[in-house]
Amino acid sequence: MESTLNCNGIGRRNFLQLGFGALGGLGFTELLQRRAEAAKAKGTSTNNINCILIWLDGGPSHYETFDPKPDAPADIRGEFKSIPTSIPGVHFSETIPTLAKIADKFAVVRSICHKDPNHGGGNHYLMTGTATPVPVGCGAVVSFHPSIGSMVSHERGIRNGLPAYVSLPSMSRSGGPNFLGAQHAPFVISGDPSQTSFRVRDVTLPAEISEGRAQSRNALLSSLDRMQRIHEAAAEDPLLGFDQSYKQGFNLLGSQKAQAAFDLSKEPEAIRKLYGQNDFGQRLLLARRLAEVGVSFTVAYWGGWDHHKTIFKTFRDGYAQKLDVALSGLIIDLEQRGMLDSTLVVCLGEFGRTPKVNKDAGRDHWPGAMSVFMAGAGIPGGAVIGATDPKGYYAADNIYAPEDFAVSLYTKLGIDPHQMLHTNAGRPVQLVNGGRPIKELFV
Amino acid sequence: MRPPPPCESFRSDSRVPSRARRSTVSIARTGLGSLIALWLGSLVSLRAETPAAPTPGGKTAPVSFLNEIMPHLTKAGCSSGGCHSKPEGQNNFKLSVFGYDPQQDYNEMVHDARGRRVFFAAPEESLLLQKATGKIAHEGGSRFTENSETYKKLLLWLQQGAPFDGPETPRLSKIEVQPRQVTLNPGEAKPLKVIATFSDGSTRDVSGLTVYSSNDKDLVAVNESGVLQASQNRGEAVVVANYMGIVDVVRPVIPPAKRLSADDFKTFPVHSEADRFVYKRLESLGLLPSGLCSDAEFLRRSTLDAIGRLPTAEEAVAFLADPSPNKRSTWIAKVLDDPNYADHWAVKWGDLIRPNPSRVGVKPVYLLDLWLRDAFRKNMSYDAMVRELLTAKGNTHQDGPVAIVRDKRDPVDASGFVSQIFLGVRMECAKCHHHPSEKWTQEDYYQMAAFFGKMRARGQGISAPISGEAELWWYDPAGKGVTHPITDATMTPKAPDGPEMPYTAGVDPRKQLVDWMVRPDNPFFARALVNRIWGEFLGKGIVDPVDDFRASNPPSNPELLDWLAEDFTAHQYDLKHLMRTIMETAAYQRSSLPNSSNLADQRNYAHALRRRLPAEVLLDAVGDLTGSRDTFSGLHPGARAVQTWNHKLTSEFMDAFGRPNASLECPCERERKPTVVQSLHLMNSTAFQTKLTAPKGRVSAWTTSSKPPQEIVRDIYLSALARPPDATEELAAMTHLTREGAVKAEAVQDLVWALVNTAEFVFNH
Repeated sequence: MESTLNCNGIGRRNFLQLGFGALGGLGFTELLQRRAEAAKAKGTSTNNINCILIWLDGGPSHYETFDPKPDAPADIRGEFKSIPTSIPGVHFSETIPTLAKIADKFAVVRSICHKDPNHGGGNHYLMTGTATPVPVGCGAVVSFHPSIGSMVSHERGIRNGLPAYVSLPSMSRSGGPNFLGAQHAPFVISGDPSQTSFRVRDVTLPAEISEGRAQSRNALLSSLDRMQRIHEAAAEDPLLGFDQSYKQGFNLLGSQKAQAAFDLSKEPEAIRKLYGQNDFGQRLLLARRLAEVGVSFTVAYWGGWDHHKTIFKTFRDGYAQKLDVALSGLIIDLEQRGMLDSTLVVCLGEFGRTPKVNKDAGRDHWPGAMSVFMAGAGIPGGAVIGATDPKGYYAADNIYAPEDFAVSLYTKLGIDPHQMLHTNAGRPVQLVNGGRPIKELFV
Repeated sequence: MRPPPPCESFRSDSRVPSRARRSTVSIARTGLGSLIALWLGSLVSLRAETPAAPTPGGKTAPVSFLNEIMPHLTKAGCSSGGCHSKPEGQNNFKLSVFGYDPQQDYNEMVHDARGRRVFFAAPEESLLLQKATGKIAHEGGSRFTENSETYKKLLLWLQQGAPFDGPETPRLSKIEVQPRQVTLNPGEAKPLKVIATFSDGSTRDVSGLTVYSSNDKDLVAVNESGVLQASQNRGEAVVVANYMGIVDVVRPVIPPAKRLSADDFKTFPVHSEADRFVYKRLESLGLLPSGLCSDAEFLRRSTLDAIGRLPTAEEAVAFLADPSPNKRSTWIAKVLDDPNYADHWAVKWGDLIRPNPSRVGVKPVYLLDLWLRDAFRKNMSYDAMVRELLTAKGNTHQDGPVAIVRDKRDPVDASGFVSQIFLGVRMECAKCHHHPSEKWTQEDYYQMAAFFGKMRARGQGISAPISGEAELWWYDPAGKGVTHPITDATMTPKAPDGPEMPYTAGVDPRKQLVDWMVRPDNPFFARALVNRIWGEFLGKGIVDPVDDFRASNPPSNPELLDWLAEDFTAHQYDLKHLMRTIMETAAYQRSSLPNSSNLADQRNYAHALRRRLPAEVLLDAVGDLTGSRDTFSGLHPGARAVQTWNHKLTSEFMDAFGRPNASLECPCERERKPTVVQSLHLMNSTAFQTKLTAPKGRVSAWTTSSKPPQEIVRDIYLSALARPPDATEELAAMTHLTREGAVKAEAVQDLVWALVNTAEFVFNH
């Protein structure tokens, strides 16, 4: 059966038997129980764990980040050296020196792989945990299944008046709710938070509206909104839902805690610098502030990681450094604030990149191997999970699929990954089809 | 027959019950087969000729797999979509959904997993029984007990050697629920009976193996055994009985406590024949209609519904002052000739048929959009429109409708699409299995697909995300057609409930399909369309959802539906005629305030339904009110939101208020639920603030106007709500404008801001 074959054709089952068959078989409920117990001991609950998912759109190279192959031939190895990290024996590419220094604070899964070499399909697979039922081209944007963020919103709903699912500065291709409904689409906050003019849209009063003016026009609104409401439930008056949405809106406007979260200028200069004074760095800082006030799932989207050309030059010219500084800044900051245990941080793209450097000094799409960064929420720091073969072609050790990735995320967030959902037409759909938790993340 | 499984697999498989491993050979299976038994601790496999199973007291009739085992498994829920019929099965055991593929299911049970699901040596030790009774850990829990009929039947079948039916077994041909008419008193219970008829004419009571469901459980519930239970409420429910994919329905009624008579309806206005049917239905349900809406409500409602914009202040003043008793009819005729008409309806049809530009290319989608707008501008008759769309051929960079051909280039996609959009029949389920609550089978689905199986294309088409090059599509008599996914048979074109239309050389089969669709006696075509348009104006289709016609989802008012369809057909499928007819009815012109008798009515048009304005319409309403519009990439300055031709054009406003996601695989209904994102956007967005303060906008004009404040307030009210303020509102507005320290510009902005955020503005009512 094809579905049990891994990317390079090794059967999962064979591998399980060879590799760690004896350790397998931890059921979801057991895992949840374990997590709940562990969380209790630490004073958090899975229900309070928020997630920041950093999406490097285009597919970041595993060679030039977390899985360098210094012993491979030059046309595979590329131009960068590998450097030691704070974990003895573990090497990263020299492009991410700061992350290398704090490698003990996060885990890297080097063995997630799949078979979809298209941006559209790859994004869908990782953002939803479900492969597209038909091949989907690179330029396509499709939604066949609810995204993980939308599902979290569906499960958790609005907290502290804040939307559960936020996406910065745009929605990732398949980040939508599909049949869960538009109220679980991400709340998109566009704009560049490193600019002084930046404001989070809609959740604060426009700059020219003073508190006093806001109060007086709200009073005017309540005296003019006079259409009769039908309060009997049987009447199903949609105006009641409308009123509810305004109540939530006013609560959010009135919440000092929430309002403060949107205002990056409240952050000390040193912390702003820690993340890097650029759009991506400040977006991660905003993501942290949102997690702090209870936003359950934030996607920080960064496009342009499709390095078919001049990958080495591009990395040298700042791409890698921007990632290195912002991501390490986020982890250090979360840890300093004691938030790392309750915040799951994930960084990935749709796939890795081809082993052989192409004629344009770039690398092409390669779903046979990719590296996924994961930290927080009890994920063991310093773990390097799985491995690719010596030349980096394929995941070769403790191989995992995107389904396993999705199951792990849902499990960390306290959501049953195998629950049955129903489409609008009543068709039952499993949240994640198969898959098992990446057990190394649950030790 | 498969070879016996290798012994190791049994030894190493801990899931084989240990008792089975210890048991001795006691029962053999009928016929020549493989017998696996465990004897003295080691597995042996041998071939054996065995006598028939013991038959105490004479002959035991052979158990039919098709007519007995399959129904039992279905009733026990084994083959439901959430369990073993998931695409991957459950724990490697996969059954076909609702048993559409019995041969496959038989193989899966008896032969697959190396035959370990059945254990002929000791049938009661078969995994099939042990798991289903929960004796061995089963994720689905215990589905039946050892005392159940299901268990006994399965055991007997296993004892008989688990035979598959021969050709002589009669096949199920129909079912009938009895009694046909059920009237219940509140709180009363009554059993249903289901009689199955087989191909040999025999009948059997299958009440116990039928799966029942009620469309309104709060009104009339139905239990597993088919016993109806009436609630204390009154009304009519639809109960569906499904036995092995064949469906029958019954509509139990709990009659109203207070009987109404035709006399009670004498005073209510009848504007057209349609109203008589509505009243007849209301009378039978004991519901009294609400009165007609006010002129201002009518003006605003009809303008928003027909052309998707607010009436202007001038239009409102003129309409309200017009003493003519016919002014509503006059307005209806006028509004349908407004230039906004085409754009408004093109948006609605765009939702239904516009392909994803990533799949088809930007240029073909744009051309299709132009074609649609032009068709509505010309008021092309609906049958002509559908003919152009469904028989399109030619160049994707020249001919709009060819985009549809390109999008639904797989005949299998075209089948579901055409059935749902143009016939109102959701066949999608039947692509993979029997429709769960309807008669449609995979044959129906693939025969419909066969109409689209003769198309050929040349050209690159698309190089996403751009358009690439043009693609040419044409009918090719040598096209390969469509085959059935299970039987591999080549399908003959046939529409649902239509005649077979074999391929004829030189005749595009799609033309034959459209010829059949537009025949006046077509059961679906006109009904599907009038229902869709009625639903747009009244807020709820006579069949709801509007594209889901089926026996188990009957129309709330069949006579009304038939009358509208006949009238539409008789008027040559003239869409404007249909809309005029609908808007003329008293049903459309009722108040949205319910009375005590019709408060709970959502389906019978006793009062109007409140509906949030669609995203484009609401954005245009804000734009018209403030005299300041959004700019859309690729569109001329001043373009209206209803002129956007692609849901991917950036608009935070329209995203907040819900556009269909162009990336979804299906045309889905728009989400109308209010969200906090919407309220926040209307209250605080900088875009709206910019509109309020635009120097050349209407708000600035009101600010600098030399008119007295009272007139300004009146003008703003007429522009936003198509009515003047009442005394209370005028007082509140005037107080805000003239209070101590008020800055006029800000106060006027605040008034417009406040009105936009009222329910009365956001809703059509």
